[in-house]
Amino acid sequence: MKPGLAIQPWGNYSLALAASVECLRVEPWTQRSTTPETLRLGVEASPEFACLSFKACTGHFIKAAQEGVRYGVMVNSRGTCRLRYYREIQQKILQERGLDLFIFGLGYDGLKPPLIRHFDPDLLPFLRCCARAQQKTLAVDALEREVWRVRAVERQPGDATRVLNECLADLDRARSVPEIRACVRTFKPRFAAVPIDATRVPLRIGLLGEATLLRDRYLNHNLEEILGGLGAEVRNFFLLGDEVRNIFRIGLFSRNSRWRLKRLARPYLENLVGGHALDSVAHALRCAQEGFDGVVHVAPAGCMPEVSVRPILRRLSQDLDLPILECSFDEHASHVGVVTRLEAFVSMLRERQEKKPRKRP
Amino acid sequence: MRTFIASLFHRNRPGRLRPIGLPRALHPHLQPGLWEAFFAALGVPVVLSEPTTRATLERAELISETEHCLPVKLLDAHLEELGGRVDRVFVPRILSLHRGFISCPKLAALPDAVRAQFRGRFEVVTADVDENRRPLEQTLAELGRTLGFAPAESTAAARQALAAAASPAAPIADSDRRRYLLIGHPYNLADAYLADPIVRKLEELGVAVERLPAGPPRGAPATLRWDTSAHMLEALCALDPARCAGVIQLTSFNCGCDSMAGPYYRETLKAAGIPFMALTLDAHSALAGLDTRLEAFVESIAGRA
Repeated sequence: MKPGLAIQPWGNYSLALAASVECLRVEPWTQRSTTPETLRLGVEASPEFACLSFKACTGHFIKAAQEGVRYGVMVNSRGTCRLRYYREIQQKILQERGLDLFIFGLGYDGLKPPLIRHFDPDLLPFLRCCARAQQKTLAVDALEREVWRVRAVERQPGDATRVLNECLADLDRARSVPEIRACVRTFKPRFAAVPIDATRVPLRIGLLGEATLLRDRYLNHNLEEILGGLGAEVRNFFLLGDEVRNIFRIGLFSRNSRWRLKRLARPYLENLVGGHALDSVAHALRCAQEGFDGVVHVAPAGCMPEVSVRPILRRLSQDLDLPILECSFDEHASHVGVVTRLEAFVSMLRERQEKKPRKRP
Repeated sequence: MRTFIASLFHRNRPGRLRPIGLPRALHPHLQPGLWEAFFAALGVPVVLSEPTTRATLERAELISETEHCLPVKLLDAHLEELGGRVDRVFVPRILSLHRGFISCPKLAALPDAVRAQFRGRFEVVTADVDENRRPLEQTLAELGRTLGFAPAESTAAARQALAAAASPAAPIADSDRRRYLLIGHPYNLADAYLADPIVRKLEELGVAVERLPAGPPRGAPATLRWDTSAHMLEALCALDPARCAGVIQLTSFNCGCDSMAGPYYRETLKAAGIPFMALTLDAHSALAGLDTRLEAFVESIAGRA
């Protein structure tokens, strides 16, 4: 039997991450979002004031260990925020509970990370696997973009989400790069087949903030779907394709390269701070430039980098006349409360739109 | 060379001797005495904010971002108070205080956040303190130049400030009694309003207590990279159970560093067999609650012995 490898749940990207470890001859163990059960496990085990992302991720590993998974993988961050200590503290927590799951660190650890050293895949299948994972990541990016657009104008609520899930299931089944490409080609026609109401003018709302929360449907209380259902076309600024490019310092000329973002944010923020704080400020500025109607800033309660740039976002919101809704989530956030806030925000944006339509690029 | 070229083009800028505000919160506590000494050496009058009081705390709660930790909130209140008295304040961007270590990420956004919050009220003078990139002396000298002082003057002031700040802390009086150690980030321990009631209460209970002095972590960077947390962990590792009766950690609500470093402190002290208690401070903490917890802690330890 193949040993299991627990991978952090990261929204729809989970299937791309799962594809990336196939060549290691392990069974990936992941979920498309945190579940109430894993969050409960994580909250019980984690330090009280740790961030929500940490708690969710810890719960995921505990659940995996309980189901007999022996290995896990977690990014090794070199940054300034709490992510740096996730792996070590999670390992400690697992040990204290007598659970036998070893978490490999990934990244910034020599040319051959311990994970690769341990499973030692052959070079060719490994490269092929990386290519597949990358293709799947880009495919998920493309899918997300489609679904944001269609969800805001669909006639039958839930259609876009249904098509998204079908596409994701197909993408998960695709095993080779040509198969993935063929699958991606079917996306556009499938979404085009969804009946839409072309007379509706959707609001445009940018989602920015901390990566895990932006991506985890359970943790962010299904923000994208709620906003989509209220007739807003969202744009989630965390796309893994861009992120991977930034990590490997390729795509220096892409619109979302670190260098570009730094230049964009300079009038308001002169430092990277850590996490995605600079990205939040830069993307908020971009939202204003591109005529977005509003922005939702998403962060776990007490997130060190995101909270420290909040005063800057507030100033920016005043300067550029861009409404920003600050949403902090912890394990006590109530779904009804979140929905109410979003509804109020959207209706406020609608009123603004009627009074003074923003010019669209 | 750069200094030399700069000196050729240098003109003493008018208004460089305008008084500068320095809050009695957060960053001056991380490098005690340094900034006062530096500005004094340059001849710039320093205006300090008033010490923290209950009113400061209440004001902080009103004007600051709700999710900030207590020390950052207090900084906002101190700066607001200074805003009425001076037209510029000093808030450095602290990225790293010691080579190999990093500082809390909240400090990295501070000057920009303060500028955003208090725009139009005062000018924010800042300097990048990053020991991983360049030594403090250079940082100070460059700050002097940006303030409009001659390069030679700036460098001399930087040296003078470093010499003044490097004077060793008074050694702790040695006695036979077992002591309690109070740990926490320097800006919490050094704030008389936050830490003094705890020290006073412990002394009332008849036990000796000692505050962990601010200082650099001595060893090589290991588990914890945040400098203040690493310094605390180091001090805890060096504790002798025969001399230390217990450790009390003073932490502020929503402190990110402490939330992650807490398990390490706990583990270290458990291994050494030293009792440990964490006291969380926020703007609402009541003295009576702290008193009860301290009494219970001290009594339970007395019962153990």
